[in-house]
Amino acid sequence: MRETYGVVLPDLNLAELTGKLIVVEGTDGVGRSTQIKLLKPWLEQQGRAVLDTGIKRSLLASRGIQQAKEGHTLGRITLSLFYATDFADRLTHGIVPALRAGFVVLTDRYIYSLMARAMVRGVDPAWVRNAYSFALKPDAVFYLRIGVVDLIPRVVFSRGFDYWESGMDIHPSEDMYESFLKYQTALLAQFDTLAQEYNFEVVDASPDIRTVFERLRAGIARVLSGEPREPLFAVAAPAAETEQATTAKVVEMPAASERAAAAEKTDQGSVSQALAKAAEGDASR
Amino acid sequence: MKRYGEHRFPGKLFVVEGIDGSGKSTQLMLLHQWLQAEGYGVVFSEWNSSPLVKETTRRGKKKQMLTPATFCMIHATDFADRMEHNIIPLLKAGAVVLCDRYIYTAFARDVVRGMEPKWVRELYGFAVKPTAAFYFRVPLDVAMKRILNGRAGVKFYEAGMDLDLSEDEEESFRIFQGRILEEYEKMIPEFDLTVVDAALPIEEQQAQMRQIVKAKLAAAKRLRVAP
Repeated sequence: MRETYGVVLPDLNLAELTGKLIVVEGTDGVGRSTQIKLLKPWLEQQGRAVLDTGIKRSLLASRGIQQAKEGHTLGRITLSLFYATDFADRLTHGIVPALRAGFVVLTDRYIYSLMARAMVRGVDPAWVRNAYSFALKPDAVFYLRIGVVDLIPRVVFSRGFDYWESGMDIHPSEDMYESFLKYQTALLAQFDTLAQEYNFEVVDASPDIRTVFERLRAGIARVLSGEPREPLFAVAAPAAETEQATTAKVVEMPAASERAAAAEKTDQGSVSQALAKAAEGDASR
Repeated sequence: MKRYGEHRFPGKLFVVEGIDGSGKSTQLMLLHQWLQAEGYGVVFSEWNSSPLVKETTRRGKKKQMLTPATFCMIHATDFADRMEHNIIPLLKAGAVVLCDRYIYTAFARDVVRGMEPKWVRELYGFAVKPTAAFYFRVPLDVAMKRILNGRAGVKFYEAGMDLDLSEDEEESFRIFQGRILEEYEKMIPEFDLTVVDAALPIEEQQAQMRQIVKAKLAAAKRLRVAP
């Protein structure tokens, strides 16, 4: 039966949620929405009803968030909570009814992006986890992973630097390029930590669109066929390594050396880096 | 990030809590005037008043699209904005900050709406602990009389109509506010709320309040408003 990460919202019967919840995660500009545009018709051709949703698309809060962001005066906790409100609205009015009706829900980002952004901004990780603990555990999380160097041309050469994507709210004195590098690097480190904790299926996003699509398709086909697999959300234990190896066969993990590097990064403690940042932020208080 | 706890800012924070019709806003207004006359820098912050967020809240209420979860979170967002941009900087600057409703309002309402008590308390973990929190305790009937005499009618969410307690607005309001009262009663020992008997004459309640506030301010650096 479906589970949540902690609390269950009032009047929510988890047993009714028979659909599949599939998450595509990844940082800004990695190609998530392009992939979802391809995945939706592919699933529909197979006779599956699909709901696609994504952050900041709620009826309730999307306009408010947009307006608030334009002012560049949103505090980090306010920002987190505004997005959490947006998520809660989409969960109760979109995702839950669709899952109840047996849909495949494809979501462009989920709580993990929101958590990563908050933690990079120095918000207490325990607070962030609690805030999102009403979220449903998905059937799979495909994480489109890319290095920051590969990310630059995709983001910057197509739409230029964005204030929030460049983390200008936390590095205001930097020029946008420096700020973008710093911010996205911190964000990727945060994602790598989350990838382990929540056992994402990592998909290398650096190849061409077609290749990434084929890998995602293979992964989703496996999830939908209900093939038995290790529990997705087991807390990273020694067994995690073998679990990841199993998924790697299907979706192809990044090269072993790259994974080792990522793991090492995690070991150095991206969380503690974020916490150090938090302390910096608090010093002014 | 600072978790709910004692702050070490030079300013002081006083909050009033209670159900609608308990008279808390009147009492806070009287306290405000007195503190200003005494020469303190006083700033007032009201529940649900963040310029960034209140438009969204209003939309949600008007269209009756708020669920217990979004009702809870949009109010937390509003509160966070006031906390980050208003209350904390003002306390740092040495102001006396007065809040009409605080986190206890959220704890009461959201828990009655079915949100988990511990989860909601954690969600507001970024809040600063007030110097004193006054709870205006009033019997339900008294509050009902004040509300129904003074207003054209109660609003949808105020009456807890989203909870399907009763078809009748007045009946729904009574049940909903009754449950909120129960939550407040539980919070008195939990958060060390200062109980004021809201059935007493207004000036008597105010005298009690001023006495307590005066004692708390005795040690504080006094910031005079510009002459």
